[in-house]
Amino acid sequence: MLKIENKADIFHYRALLFILCFSLFSLLGRYFYLQVIDFERHFSKSQVNSVKALTTYAPRGLILDRHGEILVDNYPTYILTVTPHDLEDRDIEFEKLSSIIDIDIEELNRRYKKYYRGRFLPTTIAKNLTFQQISQIEEMRLEFPGVQYERSDERIYSPILNDAHFLGYLREVDRDAVPKLDKTLLYRAGELIGWQGIEKEYEKELRFSKGVDYIEVDTYGREIFRLRDNNIPAFPGKDLSLTIDANLQRFSRSILEGKKGSVLVSNVDTGEILSMVSSPSYDLSVYRGTTSENEWNDLLKNKDNPLLNRSIAGLYPAGSKLKLITVIDLIANSLVDPSDSLMCTGVYIPPGSTNEFRCWQEEGHGLVDLNKAIAQSCNIYFYETVQLISLKDWTDTAKKFGFNEPTNVDLPNEKDGLIPDKDFYVKNYGRWGWSERGVLLNLTLGQGDILITPIQALRFINHIASRGVTPQLRLNLSKEISYYEKIEYPEKIWDHIWDGMYDVVNADLGSGWRARLDSSDIKLFGKTSTAENPHGEPHAWFIGFFDAQDTTYSIVVMVENGGGGGAVASPIAGDIVEYYINSSKFLAEN
Amino acid sequence: MFLDQFASGTTKDSVIRLFFIIAGLIFFSLVTLYSISDDPLSFNSSFYRQCIFLIFSSIVFFVVKNIPIKIIHDNSTLIFIGTLILCIIPFFLPRVEYTYRWIDLGFFYIQPSEYLKCATVVVVAKYLSNHQLEVKDNSIIIIPCLLTLLSASIVLNQPDLGTAVIIFAPLLPMLLWAGVSNFTIFLMIAPIITILAASNIIFFTVWAFIMFCFFLTFQASVVNKTILYFANIFTGLLTPFLWNNLADYQKQRILTFLNPDLDPMGSAYHIIQSITAIGSGGLFGKGWGAGSQTQLKFLPVQESDFILSVIAEEFGFFGISCVMLLCFLLIKTLLDIAFRSSDYFASLVIVGLASILLSHIFINSAMTIGLMPVKGLPIPFISAGGSFLLSCFIMIGLVINFSKN
Repeated sequence: MLKIENKADIFHYRALLFILCFSLFSLLGRYFYLQVIDFERHFSKSQVNSVKALTTYAPRGLILDRHGEILVDNYPTYILTVTPHDLEDRDIEFEKLSSIIDIDIEELNRRYKKYYRGRFLPTTIAKNLTFQQISQIEEMRLEFPGVQYERSDERIYSPILNDAHFLGYLREVDRDAVPKLDKTLLYRAGELIGWQGIEKEYEKELRFSKGVDYIEVDTYGREIFRLRDNNIPAFPGKDLSLTIDANLQRFSRSILEGKKGSVLVSNVDTGEILSMVSSPSYDLSVYRGTTSENEWNDLLKNKDNPLLNRSIAGLYPAGSKLKLITVIDLIANSLVDPSDSLMCTGVYIPPGSTNEFRCWQEEGHGLVDLNKAIAQSCNIYFYETVQLISLKDWTDTAKKFGFNEPTNVDLPNEKDGLIPDKDFYVKNYGRWGWSERGVLLNLTLGQGDILITPIQALRFINHIASRGVTPQLRLNLSKEISYYEKIEYPEKIWDHIWDGMYDVVNADLGSGWRARLDSSDIKLFGKTSTAENPHGEPHAWFIGFFDAQDTTYSIVVMVENGGGGGAVASPIAGDIVEYYINSSKFLAEN
Repeated sequence: MFLDQFASGTTKDSVIRLFFIIAGLIFFSLVTLYSISDDPLSFNSSFYRQCIFLIFSSIVFFVVKNIPIKIIHDNSTLIFIGTLILCIIPFFLPRVEYTYRWIDLGFFYIQPSEYLKCATVVVVAKYLSNHQLEVKDNSIIIIPCLLTLLSASIVLNQPDLGTAVIIFAPLLPMLLWAGVSNFTIFLMIAPIITILAASNIIFFTVWAFIMFCFFLTFQASVVNKTILYFANIFTGLLTPFLWNNLADYQKQRILTFLNPDLDPMGSAYHIIQSITAIGSGGLFGKGWGAGSQTQLKFLPVQESDFILSVIAEEFGFFGISCVMLLCFLLIKTLLDIAFRSSDYFASLVIVGLASILLSHIFINSAMTIGLMPVKGLPIPFISAGGSFLLSCFIMIGLVINFSKN
């Protein structure tokens, strides 16, 4: 080896020394900043870091009927969550889990993606686990890093009263939906939220408030120590008493069994809805996680549409109950004398027209005064008299009685219905495609483009029964009474309508005689309607009210494509009223 | 200059001092590893394994220490090629943890790129010492640059950006030490700064001015200086233009290439936990075995990459200062030995090795405090890990071996 003299320069030595000092001192400076100047912040953070906040849950509020019978209860199950960051091998762990909890790996992966919230946050992958399954997982704890389970309550429905429509149901919150929800209720993906009916409407009251348990953990989530000082307890949701009478509800449902339609019973004086039936219904347990895709599709595709709450969202032509609107306009504007009679020959030909309009009674009613026209629902009387009213007056009066707008009952997804006015006709038929006289002939029979919901019919009958001072309809027993806008008419108008409605049920030829009560002196006031529609048989309607024990009650019966209002709806109404006034609870309450 | 006074005394004193410094670092290492091991005396604990590695490495150290320097010098090209081949072998083996860095020896994974660092230093030193007379010639830098590039590109493909950076680290200090002209050194650094500064017009203007001043002071022909100056300026001006003309996926590819661990969630989490651990240590730390960040395993890879964070949390700023002081003394002592060495080749090798150790120390510490992206580079003598400990001992063995001249 050729020895070469080292001629290192002192300048180079110092340059390297400078680089050495500079780099190490800048590092030390940063350490000093972090450890001495910024110490407090990091220290408090390190204390929080090892403390994990565990969310604790409490049961959701129960739903009770007006007498305290439990309609919706809770039962405990377990939900399984995984923390993505802590999973060692997702595929292997999911494979083992799937054999224990009996869910496909694909399904687990699907839920994992659906409810994923972040690497360090637990993601719900299975619900409704049994205690046995949880014990099995607990035994194999070490094979499942990142897997945890939590207790969670599921809804269980009273077997006697399984009323999907107004009770509604709970659904799991999607990741995408969370930002749109009420922030104060602290939802997270995979949790349950009231999605329909009462469960949705009173979500805030029914939902529990979450609690927090602080535990000291390592990064594997292993609990090291439980810190009790700052825990926030979870509180159960408030129980909710409904105005529904479970027995009456059950009876109404049984009577509609096999039919499509709706029954509503309410206390006119308070606006409490005692019964709200929509038929056909379905079993609420389909929402309890184990429903297969097929079952769901069957429900969705069923042509009887069991998912629809007909009482508030079913739209039907109103039929001749709207003749009462014509009556009110006629008397209020002194257009006819109630005692004047018209001749019904069974057919009406409007002036200047060749079209024949027929009465439902083909041979005619003979001489008809106002009272008889209501009681026997004579079409000809109204064809003639409605010509005296303007379209605007008629539709204004109808809207005054709450048609064309929601009743604001405490349920979500209520429909508005439709009372066609001038604007509507111009828009849909063109400026010259309709005539005011022509459409009034339809409107006075509650036909044509008119659409109402059964609950609007209930509001209508309540307006009549309370003579214009009407409490809002409601399902929450503890909700304060509030009133619809007051409808002011002279007493004689209400008298005429009441008289007519009394005769509908109680006069010899009244169209609703089948609603008469056999076992009681209580007299029913009512109005039948037979609503023609393009889908088949007419819809059978009966609306009515009665006084019992100083309280006024009202009832609406609607049987979809059921036939005549007198023949089909009236006897149902009679049976329900009879059942109710004879039921022990009704007697005990009064 | 007071710093020069450390250089006083003989090389023998320096070697003894070196032993104490390294003993100090290893003491810190073992104390910390003991603290973070769940069961320090079981075979699988990092403490136990590190002890075994220490014994094994010490044996290798004594072997290396006693190999005659002539053999190393004469066979340096052979050693270099041998290590290069070792680095290529993993490409033909099954991947270990998605990379081609390791060779599985059954009981032990060996990472040949650790030894390539030393081999590159030795071969470059040999080249420079053989061409000492041409050192003022600008072309002297070509071969060392090519050798370094060759090693780095192989390591980069494993892929291992961290080690590739380390392979580059000794190049400039060694050239400087060899006596390459300041102008040449400046010409090597300037384009890098130009490209970096090009992203910001103010930086770029300032840098252009500084560059201009430098060019004025250097002694070279005016034509050369002007050409080089404007070449730099044009590179800078073109950089943003070229960058903007790249498709998004190409930019992404370059960014990923520069930072292969680009996992915002993952590495950010590591750095946050590390900073919290360090910051919460305070002046004197939480005490041995009492660091909550460490003991509750919030701190990731704490036995190697983030071992400094453990020291910072459990022994505080005081502990870190001791470690930094030891590191300073280690590098300082190596420079002293290099400065006093009478042999040109030996002196260059020692400077190169010192640069490697310093860049390990700097990059690792900077990573723990969030000044650099997570690169997975361990800190010498403190981090657990057999291959790296062995290469550190080989480096020190070489230094002590070479200091004998």
